[in-house]
Amino acid sequence: MLNINNLQVEVGDTSIIKGLTLAVPAGEVHAIMGPNGAGKSTLSYALTGRDGYEVVGGSATLNGEDLLDLAPEERAAKGLFLSFQYPLEIPGVPTLTFLRTALNAQRKARGEGEVSVPDFMKLSRQVAKKLGVTPDMMKRPLNVGFSGGEKKRMEIYQMALLDPRFMILDETDSGLDIDALKVVSEGVNALRGSDKGMLVITHYQRLLDHIKPDRVHVLAGGRIVDSGGPELALALEADGYDRYKDAA
Amino acid sequence: MAFAELKLSSGETALLEAFPPTEAGQAARAYLGAAGLPNRRVEAFKWTDVRAALSEGKPEADGSAGLIPDCLQDALVLDFAPDGFGLEGEKDQGLIIETEDSLPIEGAGPLALLAAGFAPRAVVLRVTASQSRPVVLRRHPGAPMRVRVEMDAGTRLNLVDTGLATAGLSTGLIEIEIGQNAELVRYSLQDGKLSAIDLTQAIVTVAEEGRYHAISLVFGGKLARAETQVVLAGVGANCLIHGAYLLSGQAHADMTTKVVHASPHGQTRELFKGAVQDKARGVFQGKILVERAAQQTDARQNHHALMLSEGAEIDAKPELEIYADDVQCAHGNTIGALDDQALFYMRQRGIPAAQAKALLVEAFVTEVFDAIDHEGVRTWFSGLARTWLEGRAP
Repeated sequence: MLNINNLQVEVGDTSIIKGLTLAVPAGEVHAIMGPNGAGKSTLSYALTGRDGYEVVGGSATLNGEDLLDLAPEERAAKGLFLSFQYPLEIPGVPTLTFLRTALNAQRKARGEGEVSVPDFMKLSRQVAKKLGVTPDMMKRPLNVGFSGGEKKRMEIYQMALLDPRFMILDETDSGLDIDALKVVSEGVNALRGSDKGMLVITHYQRLLDHIKPDRVHVLAGGRIVDSGGPELALALEADGYDRYKDAA
Repeated sequence: MAFAELKLSSGETALLEAFPPTEAGQAARAYLGAAGLPNRRVEAFKWTDVRAALSEGKPEADGSAGLIPDCLQDALVLDFAPDGFGLEGEKDQGLIIETEDSLPIEGAGPLALLAAGFAPRAVVLRVTASQSRPVVLRRHPGAPMRVRVEMDAGTRLNLVDTGLATAGLSTGLIEIEIGQNAELVRYSLQDGKLSAIDLTQAIVTVAEEGRYHAISLVFGGKLARAETQVVLAGVGANCLIHGAYLLSGQAHADMTTKVVHASPHGQTRELFKGAVQDKARGVFQGKILVERAAQQTDARQNHHALMLSEGAEIDAKPELEIYADDVQCAHGNTIGALDDQALFYMRQRGIPAAQAKALLVEAFVTEVFDAIDHEGVRTWFSGLARTWLEGRAP
């Protein structure tokens, strides 16, 4: 599924990711944990192709296809989705218009036909109900005036509608209270599947109580410095990241 | 006198010959001979140099007047051609159309003088009862237009004016007197492609509780300037001026407005939004003057623009001049680029860069059209804006 090999990323001439190797097979959920400034968000932006995150070495492939030479929208059409830590507000663009445009652009890029308006409305309503996304939220401009929790729910709602093959969740738990965390986690868990993969980036263990990972990796100083099963997250919660201070 | 020393350019000399022997033509000739064409040394024209644009005299006209859109099929159409004016369609009762030879009102600016000077006669629309059909003023390439609208108390009229010449000099003067509690809603469309010079001026007076609402969509030309001067003369008079401009290539568009609050309880809502790319240039000059007598004035002016390319230029001069002490006045002016983060967010969802930009610009600019009550016109304007956005280079 997702294969990252010796990836090196610079942001404005500063080296952030310094040779990161990671493989997430289909059907698995991997968590990346790490202290602030470890390069967690940089990894998610480099994989999705944001300007200013320059890959200076290494490779990243999704199902054997090189990602790094593709434009962000081409990566999205290949099935790569990033749930943003801070979802953007897009004034003036109604949520449903935005989503239908995105879905049809992806389908077009894959050589599939457009989804008709009635079919899209039906699909969007089904998904919305499960995630507590109200009709009012869908009519408003995307994320404008939404609370932190609503924005995160909207991210997962978009994820469910676009049905990506590989999902990166960047600090999806930040800004969520415990009830919202449950709703969001259930939404995420519903998208797990034998042909899908997930990378859950988080600072805290609590998200992993709800989204159970197959593997946990520790990112520090731009490299994976430790890997293990779910028990590694619990150990981190107890001991903190101090012991990895020198590992990087 | 200093004016006696003025040496006219060859373009100005050629224009002098072009005025017809009317009273307004004589006045324009006298003005032009004394002051020359407005140019960048004149403060109000510092970003819009009419003299330079007309350095070779009156350019050859080209293009068409454009078709009347479906949403205005019921309209009465007044066609202004280089050789005269014509009428098409039915009109309601309570609309009297006459022509006259007259001077523009005292103190009208240079564009008004020029437009009145070129026009063979003024077309006068007297509105004595509310009109259900819109009136379209269609300016043909190279044509001068001069219209005066006089609205009786309590009447309503929708006015649509279009100038779509692709080349040549088109001029227009619209004088509007809005009576007590009367309402004029005006929709303007201007698209001059790369060679047209389009100079228009509207001079509006609004009586007690009267309303002037104007919404425009502008694509510019070689040189385009739409000047609006509104005097809120009566108590509680109301003015709304919204404009969207979308400029590409070498297009130039200048939107200059002056609103004078002369009586108490007046309200002004002014909103201009634009997007400029390539080497195009957008100019916004907006002045709101609140006279001493105009207490309890409520006036807001906003201009916000997006620069879509490095070579583009936007010049803005917002001005508030207030002599009354019990007023609410505010203005805002921003010029910026598209939000990179929003753009990346949209691309991450699979929307190609060009389409994402178009969506963002459309969302930004079309806020201006929210004030359009006529659904057909709103769809028409939005469609034109979208066509521009989809056609622009990524």
